Amino acid sequence: MANSLEKKRSSQLVRDIRRHKSVYLLLLFPLTYYILFRYVPIFNGQIAFRDFMALDGILGSKWIGLKHFKTFTHSYYFWELLRNTLMYSVGKLLFSLPLAIILAITIYECNKPFLRKIVQTLAYLPHFLSWVIMYGILLALLAPGDGIINDVIKLFGGKPLDFLTNTDAFPWIVILSDAWKEMGWSAIIFIAALMGIDPSLFEAALVEGANSWQRVRYITLPSILPVIVIVVLLRLGTILDAGFNQIFMLYSTPVLSVADIIDTWVYRQGLLEFQFGLATAVGLFKGFIGMFLILGSNRLVRRFGGSSLF
Amino acid sequence: MKKTTGYRRVGNTSVAIKPTKADHSFNFLVDFFLAVLLVIIAVPLWSTITLSFRPNDYIGNNLQGMFLAPWNWSFAAYKALLGNQGFILAFKNSILILIGGVATSLLLTIPLAYVLSITTLPGRKFLNLLIVVPYVFNVGMIPSYLLVTHLGLIDHLAAIFLPGAISTYNCLIMRSFFEGLPNELKESARIDGATEIQVLIRVILPLSKAIIMTIGLFYGVSFWNDFFHAMLYLNDNSLQPLPILLRNILMASGMNEYVEVNAFGDAPIAAIKAASVFMSAIPMVIAYPFIQKYFTKGTLLGSVKG
Amino acid sequence: MKKHCTSRIGMATVVLLLSLSLFAQGTKEEVKAAGPTSVELWYGAAITEAGPPPADWVGFKVIKDKLNIDLKLTALPSNENDQDVKIQAAAAANNLPDLFMVRRDVLSRLVPQGLVAPVDDLYAKMPVRTADHYDAVSQNHARINGKSYGLADPGSINMNEGLLIRKDWLDNLGLAVPTTTDELLAVMRAFTFNDPDKNGKNDTWGYGAFQEINNFEAWPGRRLEPLFGAFGVDGTWSLKESEAGLNVLKGEFYDAMVFLKKIVDEGIMDPNWLSYKKDDFRAAWKQGRFGIMREQNAAFAAQANYAPFDKNFPEGNWIVIDPPKGPTGKASIGPYTANYRIYAISAKAAKEGKADKIAALLEWMASDEGYYLLGWGVEGVNYTKDADGIPVAKGLADPNLAFSAPGGQTVTQLRNMVFYNGDIELYARYPLYVTETSKKEMSALTVMREMQTKAWTAQIGSDTLPIPNADLKRFYEQGLSEFITGKRVLNPANWAKWIDEFKKLGGQEWNDKGVAFAKENNLLTR
Repeated sequence: MANSLEKKRSSQLVRDIRRHKSVYLLLLFPLTYYILFRYVPIFNGQIAFRDFMALDGILGSKWIGLKHFKTFTHSYYFWELLRNTLMYSVGKLLFSLPLAIILAITIYECNKPFLRKIVQTLAYLPHFLSWVIMYGILLALLAPGDGIINDVIKLFGGKPLDFLTNTDAFPWIVILSDAWKEMGWSAIIFIAALMGIDPSLFEAALVEGANSWQRVRYITLPSILPVIVIVVLLRLGTILDAGFNQIFMLYSTPVLSVADIIDTWVYRQGLLEFQFGLATAVGLFKGFIGMFLILGSNRLVRRFGGSSLF
Repeated sequence: MKKTTGYRRVGNTSVAIKPTKADHSFNFLVDFFLAVLLVIIAVPLWSTITLSFRPNDYIGNNLQGMFLAPWNWSFAAYKALLGNQGFILAFKNSILILIGGVATSLLLTIPLAYVLSITTLPGRKFLNLLIVVPYVFNVGMIPSYLLVTHLGLIDHLAAIFLPGAISTYNCLIMRSFFEGLPNELKESARIDGATEIQVLIRVILPLSKAIIMTIGLFYGVSFWNDFFHAMLYLNDNSLQPLPILLRNILMASGMNEYVEVNAFGDAPIAAIKAASVFMSAIPMVIAYPFIQKYFTKGTLLGSVKG
Repeated sequence: MKKHCTSRIGMATVVLLLSLSLFAQGTKEEVKAAGPTSVELWYGAAITEAGPPPADWVGFKVIKDKLNIDLKLTALPSNENDQDVKIQAAAAANNLPDLFMVRRDVLSRLVPQGLVAPVDDLYAKMPVRTADHYDAVSQNHARINGKSYGLADPGSINMNEGLLIRKDWLDNLGLAVPTTTDELLAVMRAFTFNDPDKNGKNDTWGYGAFQEINNFEAWPGRRLEPLFGAFGVDGTWSLKESEAGLNVLKGEFYDAMVFLKKIVDEGIMDPNWLSYKKDDFRAAWKQGRFGIMREQNAAFAAQANYAPFDKNFPEGNWIVIDPPKGPTGKASIGPYTANYRIYAISAKAAKEGKADKIAALLEWMASDEGYYLLGWGVEGVNYTKDADGIPVAKGLADPNLAFSAPGGQTVTQLRNMVFYNGDIELYARYPLYVTETSKKEMSALTVMREMQTKAWTAQIGSDTLPIPNADLKRFYEQGLSEFITGKRVLNPANWAKWIDEFKKLGGQEWNDKGVAFAKENNLLTR
């Protein structure tokens, strides 16, 4: 009985494999890539547990267990770093992502071809302004001495504000400027998704007498939901990446208490000081949190019957 | 045409409808949102453009500079950039990286994304996990550096795009698009005896131009602007791509010595920085309109019904 | 069924993975080429934004013919952090070039890894170069655990910065040059509120600065040292024998903080100073935003740098002044140390027997031929010599190929390997010129000579003292700046509390280690 079941199983497997024979050919190169360029570095990532000495190589370096992890978690600023990192990544997820989706939908729905085209052509361009340039623009807007916004405040008799060096204002500046720069770029993928909607759905909706709001609510949004879910899940996987380049350019000593994130700390402590084991250990730490979140939310998505990662 | 009825764009088609009050408010909000956004986006763009044309003796900050009259513009920054020794060479290297990178990436990503989209595939869950793990666990610079060194890729342009040839993020996005394609098409091809490779080439690819273009664009932009790997892996100066050159310009004032020399003659350093931004956006500015063409055409219509 | 298959694929993957990782661990074989010795050199470009020397640069041929060396050049990135990353990555893979420029902080981490060769015995092999470049202080600069691990070439010249004030603004307001901190305050107030440029707008400030921090000029950094010098606490450290230690732990540092806070609160310093980067600061004084600053001689007075200011303010006139005296009569522009650019030889290169070849190369660079070729290019093409034998960019067939023009700059990229701040190069670097609009005669050299006569705090070697870990460094910088912005209230009780916390976090240990190091290396002064 068990035997025949086993036989049935294996024959099913053989059928499945035979059926997908050419699949394995398709997989040949991509999998080789993943093993060589992704898993070998992960194997090398064991320097997180070693006192890495360049001359001894990875396997020859002394095994020191969790010492690097402890250096990180015992940092004077550990909890603050974690809090700041989450504040920025969650803030951007909750703010920039919905804005990008709204932008994609409005571009799709706009019935003024001129407006639609010009926004679609320009919206992605700020992505190319490096943070060096963006900083110059923010300085011109917000500088306490001669920033435009402070000029307006002074015009109305107010006291100029030090937006860029004020701990209350700084987080908002990070989140808003990120949305400003990246919204159009993030919207591209949703615009691409919107192009796949079957127009006959809209015709049906019109026949049923749905208005524009209902159309967005019941057709447009559900059709791009799978892409939104994938994007959110993937961003949860890297939740402890809060945008190194941006923060590194924008922060200054007075706002370190709200600006310092894990990556900037690692850069100062690890990369610039030949502590590569530490840098890798922090990378693994971030990975564990990301993996936990990605698996957890994936399960949640599946429970609600959405399209999931796994 | 009566006033109450009109042809209105809905999705990709024009349909005759009678707009309701709710439709009007919806349209107003959409237009309003886009108009506000246009202004917000135009400010940094325009200020960067004017900044790149700023003469050396200009007084005022970046935003005041936006109102500088065009006849006072100076082209010194562009002249200096294009006249920079090595600009042409760097541009050529960047183009090579771009072409090699996008081709390699798409050739690797498309099959993988397609295979992952086959819901009946045995071991699919494992494969997904296999590609998500390295995405989440970023072990940092040195483990990859050691690999690239041992593979002898130092001082090869391929070192810039090979280690990052498949982006898990892009691959899974593409997978989700492939999954969205109607199953009947694939099944009917399979029933006709097509292998998976044939299904991919004959059925999937023609329907997926928009997403392939988009992902190709994502890859292209990331390779075109990749400064970090070029800095690490390329020692030979004749191999250096544009981002290295531009970064050297952006960071030029970081060093304290030899401040008496200025390789840009009359151009203010701020203008040089701004002009270099537009250099980095070139491929995108050229490519995007072509990609947009695929965005406005309906991708699925017809093929499903036909 | 599914599980079965999954495990099989998993097994196969693991096997593949293991076999691949084995070969990833393999070592590269060293192939010794016959013929000329190849020397790989990672250099710090003199003009980072100009390109590297072209492939047909005459220098390559001369070096090959004369020294039998095949020189391979790589320009390091133009940003110090990027340089550190590139060098350390190469170090991690034991892939360092034969000869490379490196910051002392990084070098001190490479040495314990056994990646760098000592150079003690090379000095004798380069008599000419050692006489010009490496004095006793230089040979000590990269000494780690008793051995010299780097050739420390002279960097920027000592005391090349000064406190500058707008003389035309003083004249407009009928004020005298301030000599004390009180007078300085008065002038700063007048510069802020009394419209010194008479343009009818309230758009000027007294003092201008930005945060420029390094190992020996900790927060608030170089641009504000003249203010802290008035209290005798300029620089990270005090290296006076009687009071050696971190300045921040001294009572006078608190007084200096109170003084700075007063300036900031009164709004008589350009409030953008905390947000400015170097370029913003340098653009700001050219736009006439403030009337007092600490600036570098060439950044201020070299032709290309002064020209925009000259065009904007033909009547404008900056003069170099003495640092203001504080309540106890102390005054200083700031601390100074000998500036070096370190070139190190990798242990790998030494093992391959390249050290002597490298010494020969460096010695040749110090010869007249190497000095002029790398410093200015080819005579008649990139420069001509004037009556005094000073290279000048005049009388050339193609002016674009002049050593100072974009076309010629590429062939002088290695000049910081041959320059040692000798008279010839200073005259050539800082020529006398007449400004375009105001027709003033200017020279960055005379400005520098004047700057060097002002009061400075000698701190030779203060940049080699131990540095704090990243957490302590952050605590230090963040705390001090929060006292100034008002996030922390600056009063004696809060200050004492903060100092306690600082000591507990490792500040005391840092202080003690620094003092011990200074004693050990004879860095203390009387």
